[in-house]
Amino acid sequence: MFQAILFYTFAAVLIGAAMGVIFSRNPVHAVMFLVLAFFQSSLLWLLAEAEFLAIVLILVYVGAVMVLFLFVVMMIDINVERVQGGLVRYAPLGLVIAGLMVVELVQLIWARSRFEVATGGFAATPEGYSNTEALGAILYTEHVYAFEIAAVILLLAIVAAISLTMRKREGLKVQNITSQVAARAKDRVRVVKMEAEKRQ
Amino acid sequence: MIGLYHYLTISAILFALAVAGIFINRRNLIVLLMCIELVLLAVNFNFVAFSRYLGDETGQAFVFFILTVAAAEAAIGLAILVVLFRNRRSINVQELDSMKG
Amino acid sequence: MLENYLPILIFLGIAALVGLVLMGLGFLFGRGEKDAEKLSAYECGFEPFEDTRMKFDVRYYLVAILFIIFDLEIAFLFPWAVSLDLVGGFGLVAMGIFLAVLVVGFIYEWKKGALEWD
Repeated sequence: MFQAILFYTFAAVLIGAAMGVIFSRNPVHAVMFLVLAFFQSSLLWLLAEAEFLAIVLILVYVGAVMVLFLFVVMMIDINVERVQGGLVRYAPLGLVIAGLMVVELVQLIWARSRFEVATGGFAATPEGYSNTEALGAILYTEHVYAFEIAAVILLLAIVAAISLTMRKREGLKVQNITSQVAARAKDRVRVVKMEAEKRQ
Repeated sequence: MIGLYHYLTISAILFALAVAGIFINRRNLIVLLMCIELVLLAVNFNFVAFSRYLGDETGQAFVFFILTVAAAEAAIGLAILVVLFRNRRSINVQELDSMKG
Repeated sequence: MLENYLPILIFLGIAALVGLVLMGLGFLFGRGEKDAEKLSAYECGFEPFEDTRMKFDVRYYLVAILFIIFDLEIAFLFPWAVSLDLVGGFGLVAMGIFLAVLVVGFIYEWKKGALEWD
């Protein structure tokens, strides 16, 4: 019962946050609503006992990806993009399609839940079960190929991001610390021995 | 009893909202990218729910891979967006029609 | 399963309580005369030149991207560390290859100068 209350609360906030993402005019607000949506999803996954993924969602998405989105929103001139004239024009079409999809999908799910014998309850976990350990046990053995591909995709992301956004500034005056430290007095200063001149 | 069908319903609503967002926000590319993130989140919901329903962790392993790919996709997509903005001074989707012919 | 989260609930409750009490004290004892001038941005006495939300430099973006990549790498290390007994030598080799590929990326960005600030 308590679990059901929690579920419906989190789900309601999640749907509200998703609506905030698509309807807010200011992109910064949209990013913040998306953070809220990810947070609520993480709580829902926690409720479904998928603990590791819940933590990863917070760690990677809220902690890194959304910060990236926020950086880009701040990088792009916010005042230029604030006006969203197209919102009204396409809103009816989008809402109709969304409504149709919700009705169809929910109908399908509802029909399945009615005529299926199974109640749809989650499988009970055995005593001493660790979600992270069970995940790791298959991640590095059964799915090792996908795991290595993930490494290659991350490498691709590094290379793409650097080659797309990095640019060398021309004519920048930089301090070369290595050569500064390596400088010796005898390279710079020449000590000259000379006779003292006679006093006039 | 909260179970598979509740999670599937949430996922369906989230997916539909994200698709509606793609239709509604046709002027701002960043919001489109955020809607794609929402779509992937809805997909992940399905994976997690079925993984827990069947008692098989493979679904969760795939959610992990989807998260990885989505993060890489967001990084590259936003990099392209930054370059686009630098060249065109606009991220309005309707103005990006130079390949229209 | 939810019983295991009781300490976190207690922690959250205490944290919320402390935060609310501090804010409430400030609200109670503060002299709350807020007008438009008081709430506006203060810039050494003159009118602010521009919006507070100034544009970020693109270099922050590169740092954030590199952070994401290595954040994910760490996320992949966690279940491996927990289940090392189960995956054994095979998992060790798999993780070795994974890390080697990402070290290639690290060397690439180092040599490209993406880690330099200017």
